[in-house]
Amino acid sequence: MNRFAIKFASSIFALFFLLCAIGPSIAQTLSYADAIEQLAGACGADLRKYCKGVELGGGRLKACLDANQARVSAPCQQARILVYTSIARRAAAQRDIGDICSADIARLCGTSHADAHLIECLLSVSPAAISPACNQVFTDTGWRTERAQQ
Amino acid sequence: MIRHQLYTVAALILSVVATIAVADTRLSSGQITNSLAGVSDNSRLDLTAAQMRQAVLDNIRNYPGAIPPRPLSFPQLANLAQFTVEINFDFNSAAIRPESYRDVGAIADALHNPILLGYGFLVIGHTDSVGGRSYNVGLSQRRAEAIVAALVDPFAVNPGVLQPVGLGEEQLQDPAHPTSGVNRRVQLINVGKKFCFGLSGEQFQCQ
Repeated sequence: MNRFAIKFASSIFALFFLLCAIGPSIAQTLSYADAIEQLAGACGADLRKYCKGVELGGGRLKACLDANQARVSAPCQQARILVYTSIARRAAAQRDIGDICSADIARLCGTSHADAHLIECLLSVSPAAISPACNQVFTDTGWRTERAQQ
Repeated sequence: MIRHQLYTVAALILSVVATIAVADTRLSSGQITNSLAGVSDNSRLDLTAAQMRQAVLDNIRNYPGAIPPRPLSFPQLANLAQFTVEINFDFNSAAIRPESYRDVGAIADALHNPILLGYGFLVIGHTDSVGGRSYNVGLSQRRAEAIVAALVDPFAVNPGVLQPVGLGEEQLQDPAHPTSGVNRRVQLINVGKKFCFGLSGEQFQCQ
């Protein structure tokens, strides 16, 4: 009975931490600045130990962290997955929003293509008027909140 | 007991103030976007990356010395929208240091903003005066290329809109303090809408 209670409690805990970890990636993506800062923070010691002098660009840093994933600290391992998933998701959203939202933009703002006024167009209308797919990709681009902060 | 609580409250307030102060000094992508936007004319820039590299070599040959006696200037670039940021690299290396990762990410956030869609940018690397002038031209070129490489992967910026150029120590930010960290910087210059760069730095109409 006692053992069952402990098992149950630990499952709840595990589920809670899992939700904490994947929650933000479902709701929204990180800015590139915040994402890579999180990685540098969580992996500081690991970068000095396993990836010293490795370049950030050209996929080299990611390749180094991937190659050492069995050795890096738990927070670094967690950040590696979360950060690169977030970056990929934001990049895909920023690349695809023109296609995904083209019908919405044409209907709501009268222009047929995504251009510099895309953000103004989508922010000028209620989210309820935008299709769910367009709403989600707009959130993933980060432009909804980035704009609000300016 | 009350005194202890007061100390705790004071410490809390102080730490909040300190956090705000730190947050304020951080580079924001909005700052970069605003600095790089607002080019009024769409005319083609009358200066290629190859011409800039040649001007650097000419400056070293025509004005020799440990520190450039005459700073190199490009009047064509003076009035263009631009932004300068200090980026830290490993010594004598093109590896960006982790403390500068955030700033590179912020540049990427800015370049992805639809306001800057279709514009071309020079990514200019500068060194301080430590090391020979010719060596520094090569080092700054490799560093400018490293910034471009990071903007492209992991941050997915279109490589066609970025042109890396290394100017070495030929344009010191602070000639009175040639070894100062403020000289080690990366400068982004908006060279106009709808112009991309080819492999050898030539400009063409972006898709």
